[in-house]
Amino acid sequence: MSSSTVSVSAATPTTRHSFQRRVDEIKPSKTDINFVIMDYLINEGYPSAAKKFAMEANIQPPIEEESILPRVEIRNAIYAGDIEKAIHKINDLNPQILDLDPTLHFALLRLQLIELIRKCMTTPDADITPALTFATSQLAPRAPTNPEFLEDLERTMALLIFPPENLAPPLAALLDPALRQTVATRVNEAILGSQGARREARIRNLVRLRAWAERKARDAGKDIPDKLDLGLNADKEGDDEDDAMNGNGETDAMVS
Amino acid sequence: MFRRSSYASVVSGQASSTNPQRSGAFSHLVNSNATSGQAAPHHGSSGHARNHSRSLEADGHHNGMSMPWGRSAGPLPTYASQFGSMGNGFGVVGHEEQASSFFVPSYLKGSRHAERLEEAHKAKLAAQREHRSNHSSATASLSTSSSSVNLHKMVPSHRGMTHDIIERAPPLVEENVASWPTRWSEADKFAQIEVQGDGLEVRFQGPAKTHEESASIRTDHPMPRQCGIYYFEVTVVSKGKEGRMIGIGFGSSKVVLNRIPGWEPESWAYHGDDGMIFSNTTSGKQFGPKFTTTDVIGCGINFRTGCAFFTKNGNEIGVAFRDIKHEKLYPMVGMRKPGETLRANFGQTPFVFDIDSIVKKEKEKIQGEINLMNGSGSHSSKSNRPQMDETALIHELTVQYLAHDGYVETARAFAEEVREESRSLANNADPGLKHLDPAEDMDAINRQQIRAAILDGDIDKALKHTAAYRPTVLRDNENIYFKLRCRKFIEMVRKCTELTVPSKRSTTNGQQHNGSDDYDVFDHQMELDDQFATTDGQWGANESMDTEEPADSSARYQAMLQETLTYGQELKAEFSNDPRREVKKALTDTFALMAYPDARESSLAPLLDVSGRVPVAEELNSAILVSLGKSSSAALERLCQQAEVLVADLAEDGGAGAFINVRSDFLR
Repeated sequence: MSSSTVSVSAATPTTRHSFQRRVDEIKPSKTDINFVIMDYLINEGYPSAAKKFAMEANIQPPIEEESILPRVEIRNAIYAGDIEKAIHKINDLNPQILDLDPTLHFALLRLQLIELIRKCMTTPDADITPALTFATSQLAPRAPTNPEFLEDLERTMALLIFPPENLAPPLAALLDPALRQTVATRVNEAILGSQGARREARIRNLVRLRAWAERKARDAGKDIPDKLDLGLNADKEGDDEDDAMNGNGETDAMVS
Repeated sequence: MFRRSSYASVVSGQASSTNPQRSGAFSHLVNSNATSGQAAPHHGSSGHARNHSRSLEADGHHNGMSMPWGRSAGPLPTYASQFGSMGNGFGVVGHEEQASSFFVPSYLKGSRHAERLEEAHKAKLAAQREHRSNHSSATASLSTSSSSVNLHKMVPSHRGMTHDIIERAPPLVEENVASWPTRWSEADKFAQIEVQGDGLEVRFQGPAKTHEESASIRTDHPMPRQCGIYYFEVTVVSKGKEGRMIGIGFGSSKVVLNRIPGWEPESWAYHGDDGMIFSNTTSGKQFGPKFTTTDVIGCGINFRTGCAFFTKNGNEIGVAFRDIKHEKLYPMVGMRKPGETLRANFGQTPFVFDIDSIVKKEKEKIQGEINLMNGSGSHSSKSNRPQMDETALIHELTVQYLAHDGYVETARAFAEEVREESRSLANNADPGLKHLDPAEDMDAINRQQIRAAILDGDIDKALKHTAAYRPTVLRDNENIYFKLRCRKFIEMVRKCTELTVPSKRSTTNGQQHNGSDDYDVFDHQMELDDQFATTDGQWGANESMDTEEPADSSARYQAMLQETLTYGQELKAEFSNDPRREVKKALTDTFALMAYPDARESSLAPLLDVSGRVPVAEELNSAILVSLGKSSSAALERLCQQAEVLVADLAEDGGAGAFINVRSDFLR
C-alpha cells in the first residue's frame, strides 16, 4: 500500500489558494519517490547505491545488481575514451544493438576517431597515421549511407588541420568530454531498449515535466511566483524575493 | 464472536486479572478461526459478507450483539468485504449505490480528473456513512466499559480505508470537483420532451403545437474542461413517424429550449434531416451524411484545441467547429416530431467510436512535447549544454534527497560511484560535474539510526533515540508519538503471532465448537481456560519449533502475550480519553488485531505488514527535520509538488495539463 495520497485542492477560481500553499498541501508518497530514485539508480547504472538503497529504504530492488554491471562497464569505458572496449562489450551483450542502429554505431566509431586524434594532439610529434587509417577503413565506407555521417566525418577530420589551441566552437565541442557523455547515454538507452526496459529513467521525464509545465503556465499567464524554488544550493541566488512570496517562511528555508 | 471477548478484556480492564485466565482467553482466540468454522468469509465470499455490511448500514441499527446477523456471519466478514473491495477502485462505490451513480468513461480512465471525482465521490459516501453511524451509535466510545457497545462500534466505523487511518489524514471532501454529465436533466428541458427510465433516453411526446416549435434538453452537468477531451454518443432509437428533425450537439445554459440546438446563440449541433452543422445561427453548413433510426452519432470536444468533431457509427466525420472557448457547455439534443426517441451514452457503456485512441494519441503528443524539454530549463537557460545541466540537476536532486531523508549509506555509495564516473571522464579535462560528496553530518546519521530502528520494528529503540537526540520532537508531535506507540503494539502482536505456529491450529481444531454460540464474555473465558490446559499439552507434543524447546516456547509465548496485553492497557489508559476521532479510530483498529487467532491470516493482515513501518518512519523523520529548522520535504519532493500544482493549473481550462496524471504517468 502506498504510504500517502496525493491530494490536490480543487483548483477552481473561487477557492484558489496561493501557489505555495497549494504546493504544501500536496503530499507526494514516499513510496513513489523511493521508486523513482531506485529506478534512476538502476537505469543510469549505480549498482552499489541501488543495493544500499534497497536495504536502507526497505524496498525490493526490481532487478539483480549484476545485470546493471555490463552497462556500468560500457559507460565507464566510453567515458575513459576506450571506445574499442566499449564496442566489444556492447557486442558481447547483444550484437544486434549496433547492427540495428547504424547511427549509434557510427557515433561510437567517430568518437573512437576523435580519441585517436586527441592522442595525436596531446603528444608532440605524434604519428597521425593510425587516425587516418581508422578514418578511411572504418568511417569512410559508412559515410555515403547518410549525409549527416559525411558531414560529421568531415568536421572531425578538420581537427587534424587546425591548431588545437585555437579551435572554432563546433570543433572544440568535439573534444569536450560532454560528447562522450552524450554517446554513453545513447548507448545506455539502446541497451535498455534492447532489454525491453524503459530507455530513460523516470526522474528525467519528471524534471522535464516540471520545466515544461512551468513554461506552459507562464506562457498562459497563470498566477505563479516569479521563481519556483526547489531548495537546492544552486537555487540560492534571489532567495530573498522568494521568501516574501512564500507566506510561511520557516518551512521554506531549504536544506543544504 | 470471540474476538470480542479479548478486546473486551483489554478495554474493560479484565485483562489485568490473573495470568492463566488471560492467556487462556487469548489462546482461545488464537484458535477461534477454527471455532467459527467459517474461514471462508475472512477471505473470499465477500458477496455474502457485503450483504451483511449493507444491511447494517441500511437500517442503521447498531445495538445489541445478539442480532441474527451477528450469529450467522458475525462482524468478521464485514471486514472481509471492506478490505476485499479495496483492490478495485470502485468496489466501495459499487455495492453502496447503483452502478449508474458513479462511472468513468473509458477514455478518461486513469486521468487525474477522474481520480479527483472518484475521491470526492468516495469522501462523500464516507461522510454520509459516518453521519449515519455516528447518529446511531453515539453512545459508543472507548472509555465506556460496556464491551458490547464498544465492539459493535468497530464494525460500522470501518470503511474502505480502514487501515490507512493510522497512516493518513482523513480524505479531504472535495466539493468543487466538476462532475461530468451523467444523464439528461429532468428539469432543464422543454415540456414536450420526456426523460425515460434511467435518464439516458429522451422522447418527443404529443403533437407539436406549432410548426415552428421544437424541443431540446440539456444534461445534468456541463462537460468539464478538465477532462481535456469530452465525448458522448447518441443513438437514434426512433425517428418517429414523420421525419428526422433531430439535432445533436452542445450549448450553454442560456440557450432557449424550444429550438433545435445550433440555431440559437451559444449552441452548436449536427442535424439529421439535412446533414448540416449549425453554429449559433439558422443558416447551416454542409458537413456530413444525414442520420436516421439506429444511427449512432458521437460528439466530442477537444478543449485544448477548441475543436469539436462528430462521428457516425464509429467513423469520424471530421472537425465541425473551431474556437470553442465557452465555459460550461452541456450536451444537448433537440427534436420536433412526435415519437422521436434518442438514447445517450455518457460513458456508462463502451462507445461505438474508438475515442480511447484519440485521447491516447493526444497524451502521447503532449508527452513528446515534454520530452523535448530540457529538465533544468528554468535553472540555467544560458547554458549551451542542456543535457549535462539536466544530468547535474538530477545528481543534485538525488544526493540531496538521500541526505535529506537520512539514507546515509546510499548517499555514500552514490557519491563514490559518481566520483568514479567523473574520474573516468576527467582524464584530461574538467569533468563538468559538481563534486557530490555529501556532507557527513551527525544529524543524518542520527536520523538514519532512528529510521533503521523503526524499519526493524524496534519502536522502543526509536523512541529512546529520538528522546535523546531531539527531545522536543515527540512532545511537539503528539500524533507521531501516538502512532509510534500504536505501532509498538502492532509489533508486539506480530511477535505473538510469530511465536504461534501454524500447526497448532490443526491440533486444536476438533474441540473448539462447544463454546461458539455463547456470547457471554465471562463464561466464555472460563471455558477457554479449560481448553487451554489441553491445548497446552498437545502443543508441547506436536510442536516442532525450530530450535526452541517446546516448553520454553510456550512460556515465552505466554510472557509475550502478557506483556502485549499489559502494554495494550497502558496504551488505552494513556489515550482513551483523547477526544480526537482519528485517535479513537486508530486505537480501535489496532486493538482489533487482538481479535484474530492469527492476524496474519485475517483481513487485518495489512495492518501487521512490515510495510506499515515505512510511513511511521517517514513521518518521524520529517518531524525531526522540521525541528532542526529544515524543510520537511526534499527538493525532489518539492519538484513533484510543484509539477502537480502546475499541471493542475494547466488542466483547469482544459489545456495540456488535462492529459497528464503526474503520479501514474511519471512516478510509476
